[in-house]
Amino acid sequence: MVFLSLSCWIRSRGPDRYWKVQEVLKHARHFRGRRNRCYSLAVRAVRRAFVYATKSRRIKKRNMRTLWITRIAAASREHGMKYPALMHNLTKSSVQLNRHVISDLAITEPRTFLSLANLARARQQEGFRAALGDGKEPPGVFSRVVFLQ
Amino acid sequence: MRKPRKTENSRRRRTTTVLPVKMAATRGLWRTRSLLSPRTPLLFPAAAARPQSSVSGDPVPRTSLSRPPWPQQTSAVPAEEARRRHAAVVLAVNERIQQRDFGRLFAVVHFAGRQWKVTGEDLVLIESHVEAQCGERIRMEKVLLVGAQDFTLVGRPLLGRELVRVEATVLEKTESWPKVHMQFWKRHRFQRKKILVQPQTVLRINSIELAPALTS
Repeated sequence: MVFLSLSCWIRSRGPDRYWKVQEVLKHARHFRGRRNRCYSLAVRAVRRAFVYATKSRRIKKRNMRTLWITRIAAASREHGMKYPALMHNLTKSSVQLNRHVISDLAITEPRTFLSLANLARARQQEGFRAALGDGKEPPGVFSRVVFLQ
Repeated sequence: MRKPRKTENSRRRRTTTVLPVKMAATRGLWRTRSLLSPRTPLLFPAAAARPQSSVSGDPVPRTSLSRPPWPQQTSAVPAEEARRRHAAVVLAVNERIQQRDFGRLFAVVHFAGRQWKVTGEDLVLIESHVEAQCGERIRMEKVLLVGAQDFTLVGRPLLGRELVRVEATVLEKTESWPKVHMQFWKRHRFQRKKILVQPQTVLRINSIELAPALTS
């Protein structure tokens, strides 16, 4: 049959709704409940998921740093030192290893971590000796050390 | 910016563990702190040498709270002894390096704003663009630490260029998977969605080499 006059009231309201919907649903396929099937629920869930992912990328850096610090603290306590003492004395000895690498060394290279702990401890003892003085009072000062009575 | 320290200032530390170390000859010279015999604990170690004018004996009367409950060891090694130990350690490590007695080396390298702990045959994925073509060999110059089984060289903060050589090859340059950057404020009709694609580079670490002789 040949239609000689076209119908005027039929229009296409967008030929690709299916693909636009699938674009959103593909990110929701592993969700629980109707949010992985129904578009209206999936849109809201996917939006929240994307926003959480965006924010978490910044928080992940903070969490990783806390984890490294915890691991370094545990490893340094095995060697009789505390985390602030270790890091401060390593910085004073101009060793610029970051927490990521030091925690990796504590896990996979225990002997190297022991040598770093010894280095920090030696620097700490040096600092104590310098602070406590060499037994001679500087001229003009009665006493540098407070005697507890 | 702080100038990187040269080879003379690199501290060499030989680690001691409970595992048998091959260097039996020098083991006796290096004692860890726990093996030192505890001397009489002093509250102020310098006070013993200080002449007391009115108080004789202890600076503080000995009560239950005059001393901390943990054992106090003042292990001040005399300078001569410390220098001898240091020389022994340097000699031992030099000997090791000259005879190429170490096995696999690892290094901590500062590259692309991050520090990496690398060995030979490692693959490294860098989330940025590297100014080198695929297949080119690269030398990583900022080396912070080099270690082997029995010794570690710790740079303060960097090791010398003549001392270590870390070489890598650029394998591929790609883009990361499309990450979604989305912002949404509820009840404000505000949402923004952006697809981020970062350039990535994959490097293969070819080798880490130590110079045959160290300077003290």
